[in-house]
Amino acid sequence: MIWQQFANGLAIGSVYALIALGLTMVYGVLRILHIAHAGVYALGAYVGLLVFRFIPNFWLALAITMVASSFAGIILQRYLYAPLLALPRIVPLIASIGLFIAMEEIFRLIAGPYILAFPADPGLGGIEWGIVRITNNQFLVFLVTVSLLATLWFVMSKTKLGLAMKATSQDLEIASVMGINTERIIATNFLIGSALAGAAGVLVGVYFNSVYPTMGSIPAYKALAIIVLGGLGSIPGTVLGGLLIGLGETLLLGLINIPFPRDALAFIIMIIILMFRPYGLLGKE
Amino acid sequence: MLSVEKVDVFYGEFQAVREISFQVQGGELVTIIGANGAGKSTILKGLMGLESCERGKITFQEQDITHMPTYQRARLGITLVPEGRRLFQDFTVEQNLVAGGYTRTDASAVERDLQRTYDLFPILKERGHQVAKTLSGGEQQMLAIGRALMASPRLILMDEISLGLMPKYVNEVFNTIESLHREGVTILLVEQNARKALAVADRGYVLETGRILIENEARGLASDPRVKKAYLGG
Ligand SMILES: Nc1ncnc2c1ncn2[C@@H]1O[C@H](COP(=O)(O)OP(=O)(O)OP(=O)(O)O)[C@@H](O)[C@H]1O
Ligand SMILES: [Mg+2]
Repeated sequence: MIWQQFANGLAIGSVYALIALGLTMVYGVLRILHIAHAGVYALGAYVGLLVFRFIPNFWLALAITMVASSFAGIILQRYLYAPLLALPRIVPLIASIGLFIAMEEIFRLIAGPYILAFPADPGLGGIEWGIVRITNNQFLVFLVTVSLLATLWFVMSKTKLGLAMKATSQDLEIASVMGINTERIIATNFLIGSALAGAAGVLVGVYFNSVYPTMGSIPAYKALAIIVLGGLGSIPGTVLGGLLIGLGETLLLGLINIPFPRDALAFIIMIIILMFRPYGLLGKE
Repeated sequence: MLSVEKVDVFYGEFQAVREISFQVQGGELVTIIGANGAGKSTILKGLMGLESCERGKITFQEQDITHMPTYQRARLGITLVPEGRRLFQDFTVEQNLVAGGYTRTDASAVERDLQRTYDLFPILKERGHQVAKTLSGGEQQMLAIGRALMASPRLILMDEISLGLMPKYVNEVFNTIESLHREGVTILLVEQNARKALAVADRGYVLETGRILIENEARGLASDPRVKKAYLGG
């Protein structure tokens, strides 16, 4: 039973990590909270579903979604954030919240307020492993998130692009003095983060077999708790934070069965950890 | 090599640099001296493209770079050792140096320059895998210089690189500047330590509240009574 819950928690947690990564990457280079990122996540779910209805192939839907959402991310960067960056940080924050609400309304207008089913079968099959049963959908979530995170890890730690991204997030001006095209690096952060969020949207849509206009609301604030918990701007911290919150929610509520709102737990975990580590798990002062 | 004509730089309403004009020839070591707040750092940032220049013109190797983005100036061969070092704090010594050579494509030349930097500052080799923020102030300053050298620059802008260093390190840093100069690197040096700066420089400019007051050979400046009184302690 506990191992079963553990598998559930890991699946949820790894999706949280995927969503929160974009937020942390954007914060890392621009020091703004990109709330509309959760809109990109919901957009991803809708795009994936749309593609899937035309061509019922999960992998194709996932790939097209990631391309589409990375475009969406770059458009937001260029037309929403770039013009506002010279202004006080509160301005892009408010614009971002406003845009997020607008996106939810647009989804509702176009696709209707209903919960739409996303009955994709990636054709993986489940695994029985002693007492643990990993379902088809859980296996899917693990497979996709682990491959995406591994790719991200490779890019960040083994390539010149990764070096430039890390340098830019530490000191944007000096990175440009080193000859790094920091405008392009900022766009790349939006591109990668949004592709991951889009993928998360598709995964969640399939996992819970539901896509709806406000599906980004809870991830929007939960991702905030996760990146604060992980240490703002820290990529490994965000992955750790996502897994911790996913596991924490599932294990505490699944095992102890206390009558407690699941979605508030993220903040309680965050507050407890910040009491001991004020800069988050892997954050810096 | 570098020519600055009537450049103005503003911070909002405040004008920090007024109608500045000067030249640096290829291979020269030129220094700008001036009191705190005179606008020395602002000039270097303007040359690097970190502050925009409202009026005037900057030319580097016959090319107008007045409005060119910073990274393109870097690719033309200009680099800056910034005030306060500004290392990539979470990078190791070696990662900082590699980042310094970011734009270069010839891996073996980069490797050679890495070795050369380590020869110049053996302590950096010892600390190769240490994270930059844990280095001592002197080590950090050497790393900031080494990082700039890794770009194999044509023109190095150096901002107060001896600030906060023990006399032993100050001498070492100035020795490095001199040997770079001998190798033919063009250097524009901004210094609090006017005595040392004038000792190594070919020419110098005296900056006061955003304007250039005096221009002369370094030796001439060092014996100029106005300079002696204001910057050399009598
Ligand atoms: N970011 C900024 N915003 C507003 N004013 C600034 C800014 N940076 C510098 N200044 C002002 O511009 C003037 C010149 O500053 P600058 O840093 O160029 O001086 P400096 O000659 O390098 O001085 P120091 O020797 O102390 O380094 C100063 O009056 C300073 O207060
Ligand atoms: Mg200065």
